[in-house]
Amino acid sequence: MRFSSAKYLFSEGFKNVWKNWMMSAASIGVLVLCLLLTGASALLSINITNTLNAIESQNIVKVYLKNELDSQKADQVGKSLRAIENIVSCEFYSKEQAVEKFKDTLGKAFESMKENNPLPDSYKVTLEDIAKYEETVEKIKEIEGVDTVVNRSELFEKLTKFDRFVSLAGLIIVFILALVSLFIISNTIRLTMYNRRFEISIMKSVGATDWFVRVPFMVEGVIIGIISAIISSIVLKFFYDFIIQVIKKNISFFNTPFSDVSVPLFLSFLLAGVLFGLIGGLISISKYLKKEGGEILGW
Amino acid sequence: MIRFNNVSKVYPNGTTALKNINIHVKKSEFVFIVGASGSGKSTFLKLIMHEEEPSCGEIFIDGMNITNISKKEVPYLRRKMGIVFQDFRLIDKMNVFDNVAFAMRVTGASERDVKKRVPYILALVGLQDKADRRPAELSGGEQQRVSLARALVNNPALIIADEPTGNIDPEMSYDIVELLSEINKRGTTVVMVTHEHNLVKKFKKRVVEISAGDVTSDKKITEVIKNEI
Repeated sequence: MRFSSAKYLFSEGFKNVWKNWMMSAASIGVLVLCLLLTGASALLSINITNTLNAIESQNIVKVYLKNELDSQKADQVGKSLRAIENIVSCEFYSKEQAVEKFKDTLGKAFESMKENNPLPDSYKVTLEDIAKYEETVEKIKEIEGVDTVVNRSELFEKLTKFDRFVSLAGLIIVFILALVSLFIISNTIRLTMYNRRFEISIMKSVGATDWFVRVPFMVEGVIIGIISAIISSIVLKFFYDFIIQVIKKNISFFNTPFSDVSVPLFLSFLLAGVLFGLIGGLISISKYLKKEGGEILGW
Repeated sequence: MIRFNNVSKVYPNGTTALKNINIHVKKSEFVFIVGASGSGKSTFLKLIMHEEEPSCGEIFIDGMNITNISKKEVPYLRRKMGIVFQDFRLIDKMNVFDNVAFAMRVTGASERDVKKRVPYILALVGLQDKADRRPAELSGGEQQRVSLARALVNNPALIIADEPTGNIDPEMSYDIVELLSEINKRGTTVVMVTHEHNLVKKFKKRVVEISAGDVTSDKKITEVIKNEI
């Protein structure tokens, strides 16, 4: 394609977006919604995965002792713990220390707990090899006087299930929205084509190639895609930052800052937007390109 | 310039539009195609523009066999010809200049060439002062001259005019055919479909009559008049 043609065709595409601003806005709206939901489920999934990784790499196990144990027996449990091969260190937390920590975290309202302390004594155990986690936990459970071992794998399993659910639900929603947005974009362009069918028939009669007819519509689709990608990235950033601000104070779950994912997220949005615009454009044009002369005008 | 060898056209619905037609239009010739509605004139033009393909026979345009050319070649075939329609087919939102320039831009011409060529062609059809006007602001005759300017702008070897005077008053019609005749004198082949016998009589050109898909007469105008007398 010659430069002069390219310049002309691109400017036609830009003009089309503006001339059909209502349909363009509708397409952008749906595409933004689609990208936002995709982005939100991706962010949620990333956070879950990061949390899972953090849990997985944690080599500390909490061992709670039975309530009726006296300090001597508690020491005995400590010795048995140290005797296990995979345990590097083990630190004792008395029930009093536990109450203090509870109080520090949750406020003085829990002062009264000191008198009627429901918390058990515990050991904070550090493992050497995380791969032998299950095996070591089993050994700890066998020690007499041990009540419970906080089992990482249960939380891990729940989170993994949640992650799978989020991914699947996200995928289904995105798939449906993708179809809807493709439909709306192609309809927008089809409407433009219908409005401009007269021009298209003249274009063809004076010897325009199919690409000459096609390019402005594709440019239009791509512009809609790019605008949607920019809007969705900005909205998602503000939304995510807001959620982090509100939630992070209480739960340290959303631990991935937006800046970590902003570039790949924006690039994927851009790619998806451009691809959708392009496909939407191509679908709607093919119908008119097959026709000739009066057929285009419906005569 | 145009050669139809035993060309027939049967539409998918079974209508036979042309039956075994043989026509040869030489370079720089001016030919009127006449005939009643539904006689096959439009199909004849559609076959030349390759809007339709013949059911059998062969069609040559400017020495090139276009009978079975690929879809990709069609735009390049059409650039060899300028087409003038009965309903002008001008784009309302574009001014006269852009309507004519449009045909050049489609072929990938540079803006520099467009700016040089369009005013020249507008002057040729007598519309140099109306370049900024919209088609709706012009009379029927003027609109048809814009359409003619658009057909001429790429300097085609062949002009196809499909009832170009059908929507304009008789005086203007005469001007349009006069203009086509002038263009023809410069070497461009002109094929004009018309209903108007007055025009055909006035301009002494070759007349091909199509009736019920058949060429029923193909004569120089002088002979037609003699026969009618």
